[in-house]
Amino acid sequence: MPHLGKIEYKPISVRELFLEMKNLSELMIDLAYSAALFNDKELAEDVLELENRVDTLTYLLEMEIMIATRDPDDAEALAGVSKVASAADKISDAAADIAAIVTQNIGVHPLISEVFEKVEERLTRAKVSKASILVDKQIGELDLAARMGVDIIAIRRNKDWIINPKDTEPIKIDDVLIARGAPSGVKEFKALAEGKLRKLED
Amino acid sequence: MSPKLQKKFEEIVERFVELKDTSELMMDLAYSSLLLNSKKLAEDVQELEEHVDKLHTDFELLVLSSGFKPEEAKSFLGLIRLGVVTEKIADAAAEIAEVVLRGIKPHPVLKLAIEEAEETVTYVQVTENSMFVDKTLREVHIPEETGMWVLAIRRRGKYIRPKPHTKIESGDVLIASGYAEGEEDLKKLASP
Repeated sequence: MPHLGKIEYKPISVRELFLEMKNLSELMIDLAYSAALFNDKELAEDVLELENRVDTLTYLLEMEIMIATRDPDDAEALAGVSKVASAADKISDAAADIAAIVTQNIGVHPLISEVFEKVEERLTRAKVSKASILVDKQIGELDLAARMGVDIIAIRRNKDWIINPKDTEPIKIDDVLIARGAPSGVKEFKALAEGKLRKLED
Repeated sequence: MSPKLQKKFEEIVERFVELKDTSELMMDLAYSSLLLNSKKLAEDVQELEEHVDKLHTDFELLVLSSGFKPEEAKSFLGLIRLGVVTEKIADAAAEIAEVVLRGIKPHPVLKLAIEEAEETVTYVQVTENSMFVDKTLREVHIPEETGMWVLAIRRRGKYIRPKPHTKIESGDVLIASGYAEGEEDLKKLASP
């Protein structure tokens, strides 16, 4: 069970909250499907952690609305925002339900994973080791998409998540990188991050 | 694995991928319709909602008729659950689109969020003579060339979730968002 603490009000613009919810929901769902279809417990746990963050965002969004509502006109304009918060919550619950297929050991048929692997890109998570040649490189200069058909879609750094990191984002030791790509590329990428492969091939 | 069984699994995966891609696309479009205050995009989401219901039923029927053995029940339960949850995501996306369709009233809190969004949504058809035809999205560099981002591709009544390896066909309608200046550039490239 995650630790449930008080959520403190922070002034964040509604646009920023919407944008972050959009990015988080997309990431969570991608991670959740990959976790369920490839029976990956670590990815499933990331999903549950991100769910916590969406909860915080929906609280903050509701707080923004409450502060701003003073009369019926305000209420009419802002009720929709509250609906969006509840929809975002439903999406993150759904992602957590998908992850639960793994964490509750239900799983999907292994042959499904096998077939799925052939048609879909897969996600992987790799922790950057001290020995990795990726350390202190910016994502853009690695040219992973051209080299091995892999894209880094998120970075987990300590307790923070950087979703859709920019090309200028440097990779640091102990970062957990979430990447998407074809199975062979993803394997190569994981070996690079973990320091088992020390050369970037063209 | 027997060839018959292999085929069955391939069919299940194929249906599931379509269901999953559609609901993910709906979510993406629903949030975009909100951020860009685009009723047209919200209508696309509503249209996709009906399609997802049908896809979901087809998927369930396919899984249930796959003739699994009692000891395999659990892993088929996993598949059924995946379908149910995927449909829930589509429902939530439709709820977001509904907010947009009902009309967003101006309010200071929403000012920067929606009303003043400088980006727009554009629908552009790819004509036969376009340099995009038969190229993948990765090859044509639309964001770099035009500043526009492809949200979805509409092809023969179906919506496709764009991926780097998605091939563009003549007749496709690209649904893209970005700053208004990019719209003309995209049109020039798609339908010269």
